[in-house]
Amino acid sequence: MKELSLHILDIIQNSISGKATNIEIDIVENPKDNIFQISIKDNGIGIKKSILKDVLNPFVTTRNTRNVGLGLSLFKSTAERSNGKLILKSKENIGTEVYVEMEYDNIDRPPLGSIEDTLIAIMSGEGDRINIKYRHNVSGKVFAFDAAKIKNIIQDVDIESPEVIMWLRGYIKENIRNLYLI
Amino acid sequence: MMKISQIIKELDLELISGEKGLDNETNGVYSGDLLSVVMASAKEKQIWLTVQTHINIVAIASLIDISAILIVEGMEVEEDTIEKSNELGIPIIRTNKTTYEISIELYKLGIN
Repeated sequence: MKELSLHILDIIQNSISGKATNIEIDIVENPKDNIFQISIKDNGIGIKKSILKDVLNPFVTTRNTRNVGLGLSLFKSTAERSNGKLILKSKENIGTEVYVEMEYDNIDRPPLGSIEDTLIAIMSGEGDRINIKYRHNVSGKVFAFDAAKIKNIIQDVDIESPEVIMWLRGYIKENIRNLYLI
Repeated sequence: MMKISQIIKELDLELISGEKGLDNETNGVYSGDLLSVVMASAKEKQIWLTVQTHINIVAIASLIDISAILIVEGMEVEEDTIEKSNELGIPIIRTNKTTYEISIELYKLGIN
C-alpha cells in the first residue's frame, strides 16, 4: 500500500467486522527521536488466543477460519521494511490493539497520506454505530477528535448525513494541516 | 542519448512537472518501487519508472541525477512532489501503461 492511511483503513475494517463500537486511533510523529507510531485500539470481539499468531502469517487459513484478510501481514511488512515492528495484542471479548512503530526518516516508510479520507470513509458508512476517537501528535502539537462528542453536539442530526460528513472532512483536514505548520 | 522532450513526443507521455529539465538526456531505464533499492541501484541519466509518487522520489532522483521520473499506471502525483520537481527541474512524466508495457516501448525507441 502506498500510504499508511490505507493500512489504517484496512485495520479499522477488521475492527468493524470484529463488531467494535469504539475505535481509537493514535498517531505520533516524532522526527526528533526518529519515530513514527500508530496505534489502533478497538473493543471488538478480539482474536482467539489459538489463532493470534496465525493472523500475522499471510499463508495460514482463509476467511473461513478468521475474519481478517491480509491487512495485518501487509502492515507488518511495511513496518519491518521501515526498520520498525508491528505488535498485535488481543483478548477475546475485550478488544484488539495493533501497534506499529517505524523510523520516521526511513526512506521506505510510506507517507501518512490522506488520513482524513480514511476517517471519513469509516464515519460515512458506520458513523452511527461506531465511535471514532482520533489523536494525532506531531512534535508535541496535538489534534484530538472524538466522534461521540460531535454526536452529542449535533443531537438529532445523523452523523452520516452528507452535510455533517462534508463539514467533518474539512474540519479534520484543516486541523491536521495545522499540525505541520511551524 | 535521447532528450526527455523527444521521448515524451514519441511515446505520447504526459508531462506533469519539471519542464526545466526537458532537455535532459537519457540512455537507459531503471524500474523499481522500493526506494532504498532504487537509491542503491539506479544510475545517473536513467529514466526511472515507478508507481511511487510522494516527495521522496524527487529527493532520490536529485541525489542520483536521474534524467526523468516516469510514473506508470496513471498514478496521481502529490502536490508537494510536483512543486519540488518544478523547483529542481527534474521532469515527472506519466503514462497509463504498466511498467512492462512502457519498458517495451522505450526499448523499441532505442533506449536500452
